[in-house]
Amino acid sequence: MAGDTQHVSIQLENVAVVRRGGDGRKVPILSDISFSAKSGEITAIVGPSGGGKSSLIRLINRLSDPTGGTIYLDGEDISGLDPLRLRRRVAMAPQKPIMFEGTVLDNLLLPFRYRQEPLPASDGPEVAHALELARLDPELLDRDSRTLSLGQQQRASLARALITRPRVLLLDEPTSALDRPTADHLAATLHDICRSQQLTVILVTHDLRLTEKIADHLVYLEAGRIREAGRAVDLLSNPQSPELRRFLAEPDAKEF
Amino acid sequence: MEEVKIVNLGLPNLALAYGLVLLTIGLARLRRIGQEGEIMWSSVRMVVQLFAVGYLLHLVFDVRSPLAVIAILLAMAGFALQIMGARISHRMPHFYRVMGIAILIGCGGVTFLFCGLVVGYSPWYEPRYLIPLAGMIVGNAMNGASLAAERLGAEIHERRDEIETALCLGATSRQAADTAVRHAFRAALMPTTNTMAAMGIVSLPGMMTGQILSGIEPIVAVRYQIAIMCAITGAVAITAFLVLFQGYRSYFTKAHQLTEEEYTGQ
Repeated sequence: MAGDTQHVSIQLENVAVVRRGGDGRKVPILSDISFSAKSGEITAIVGPSGGGKSSLIRLINRLSDPTGGTIYLDGEDISGLDPLRLRRRVAMAPQKPIMFEGTVLDNLLLPFRYRQEPLPASDGPEVAHALELARLDPELLDRDSRTLSLGQQQRASLARALITRPRVLLLDEPTSALDRPTADHLAATLHDICRSQQLTVILVTHDLRLTEKIADHLVYLEAGRIREAGRAVDLLSNPQSPELRRFLAEPDAKEF
Repeated sequence: MEEVKIVNLGLPNLALAYGLVLLTIGLARLRRIGQEGEIMWSSVRMVVQLFAVGYLLHLVFDVRSPLAVIAILLAMAGFALQIMGARISHRMPHFYRVMGIAILIGCGGVTFLFCGLVVGYSPWYEPRYLIPLAGMIVGNAMNGASLAAERLGAEIHERRDEIETALCLGATSRQAADTAVRHAFRAALMPTTNTMAAMGIVSLPGMMTGQILSGIEPIVAVRYQIAIMCAITGAVAITAFLVLFQGYRSYFTKAHQLTEEEYTGQ
């Protein structure tokens, strides 16, 4: 059943976002976006800033809705799904790891509290599972969440997103605020989670080091359109489109 | 109680008082603050507006028709809406509908409850009570509603990352907006709370001063003042609550998403 473990879980078909500009004109943000992401794989959406990456990823858990096209989760059109239920299957850790008032444990339990579900015990399997996946030190559970370092907050945010055992994980620039060793560490963690949990990971980044390290698939987005997509190793070593070539050739592209 | 006659201000007395405004204009000119025109204009507006309202009230008190009284109360609410709409910097979507409903229910409810049950005069539309009391209630509720709306807009704008994080974690829009709503409610109640605490020490309230000037026994005036402060507090709280309760929804879609203007920060 090898085919079953690698099934397509998220699929976008001709997705478009058009926004009203300040002068009432319609501004295309995303046009004709089609790609799919498989479980157990990491799909990186890469491109220069302002190209529509963040607008794209937020469509997948319905933080906003596209103006055209369809997005499928396991074959189901997500526009027909209750957003609150969808967000339980499709978790997202936004760009800034925001910690709410209270301890780290309080933060980890928020997804249950919001949904008015019974809270798991602090020494129970759910909390332990989330801590282990995000490699967050259990000693930190009782700490005031706002006293954590940025790297620890990033991990706490990841644990909080994973504690309800979602099928899809969306990450917006997970490493942008981290120094290089911390970022590499987080990248390794993400890679392991994706494989061990058969999670579908879609991440937005302009960090080529991160992409090179962990991405299976690469979708290169520039000015609201996909310029090239395919296996990450192929695209990084042998880019076909002039846009991706230019992006890879930028002197500081490998930095960050 | 001995009848106390209030000194009637004649036009010459008024002219004398107006001299103080002219003195202010003179001082402004002397120090070249460049506000003479504005002070002059404001003082003329004050005179004209107050006389106009005075004659209007005179007329309404004579006519004693419930329709005229209701019309005046609605006009008051209308002006309050227009003033709020003109000054607020973050105007929420459906602003006038949200504010209109809040003022009508919050102020209308409290005014009639207060006039009917607490003061208990008859007929119910007695303009001598209803109009000034409603004026005080609407004026204060207007400030509370403006503060609530302004603060809510600012909070949602500042906290949009926080709100979206909560939405990602499964919060409903109501749960996600909770902190913003709480802060806005607190801000709306603060001036009234401060006024109550300072009353009688820092300020002698206008209504009480007016009643004492017109010969009412101070203890009676104090009772009125306490009652009206309670009514104002209730009206401010109910109006602000209604503004916030309807208002936060206007920043979200039905699918528990921040509206486009909010998440793009435009």
